[in-house]
Amino acid sequence: MAARKLTTGLTGLAVATSPHHTLGVLYGKILRCLQKMPSDSAYRRYTEQIISDRNNHVKTEPDVTKLEKAINAGQIEEVIVQAEKELSLARKMLEWKAWEPLAQEPPKGQWQWPIK
Amino acid sequence: MVRGWARLERLVSAAQNGRIAQCQLPKRKRKVLPRVAGARFCSTEQTLHPTIRPVNAVERTTLTEYGQYIAECMPKYVQKVQITAGNELEVLIAPEGVIPVLTFLKDHTNGQYTCLTDLCGVDMPSRAFRFEVVYNLLSVRFNSRIRVKTYTDELTPVDSACEVYAGANWYEREVWDMYGVFFANHPDLRRILTDYGFEGHPFRKDFPLSGYVEVRYDDEAKRVVVEPLELAQEFRKFDLNAPWEQFPKFRDHVPAEDIPIKEEKE
Repeated sequence: MAARKLTTGLTGLAVATSPHHTLGVLYGKILRCLQKMPSDSAYRRYTEQIISDRNNHVKTEPDVTKLEKAINAGQIEEVIVQAEKELSLARKMLEWKAWEPLAQEPPKGQWQWPIK
Repeated sequence: MVRGWARLERLVSAAQNGRIAQCQLPKRKRKVLPRVAGARFCSTEQTLHPTIRPVNAVERTTLTEYGQYIAECMPKYVQKVQITAGNELEVLIAPEGVIPVLTFLKDHTNGQYTCLTDLCGVDMPSRAFRFEVVYNLLSVRFNSRIRVKTYTDELTPVDSACEVYAGANWYEREVWDMYGVFFANHPDLRRILTDYGFEGHPFRKDFPLSGYVEVRYDDEAKRVVVEPLELAQEFRKFDLNAPWEQFPKFRDHVPAEDIPIKEEKE
């Protein structure tokens, strides 16, 4: 039996007791939130791809160390933090409707550099 | 010291005689070499000059693709994406997109720009919106940096980035103090760099170099007095170019290269 993990070595980040359960819940929430966006939204497509990919790893791999290697985004606790952030972002994206076309064109010559 | 100097002299004379290949470089110096040699790997050109920055084509392609990715995900706010000659990715956004774009860059799994390294202002009085606000971000996870720029004028407020990055607080106070850009929803927008009772925004291009007031100790009044300054000279445009040609080959400023933003499929 592998030694129980005592610390993540990162300040303020506690060891997760049941990462599979936490991640499963979070990924479910994110995917449900993404469902509400239009299906041609680029953010929805890319995020669904990332999240369902990670979700598959979580479902198929019971060992935490191997799961961390498979996801390849740091320790499992960091992956949980990433999922939490992605969830809050997805909910905000719904509010902003960021998939809509450009709201405001820049004035002419605004981004020209050097100024002629 | 003398020993080292003599050794260096021998090295130089060896180099001049073309015997540098046989000559042993001092061991400490040797560690510097791989940096130059490493540049060879990222450059595609055979003719590599030690004083010319090598072209890192791989990094450039990655950044270009990432720039397109951002533009595709946030089409509502991203006006333009460009990459500078030194491989720095710049995202130019509309002012109402400050919070969404910064939040996206911070919270998205494929970004994680969790650190706001710098926030500053630029003043270009000839433009319709004279001020630029520049956000420099760092992603520790992907070891990558990005720059977000937006624009405003004297009266239009920009949304404060404090709710996304707590570290933006003092930077925005600096920009407010130096340029007079107003940040909406900032928790504590006060002057931070200038003195008590200071008036004006000193980094504006129309602010005279000498300032408007003079501070001196008055011996009769026995205190420091502040007096209006008589401006000795009218506004003058300084030509900062040297009268002679220093680096004719590199005279032209290399402009940032536009990254084409993919049009939406209709």
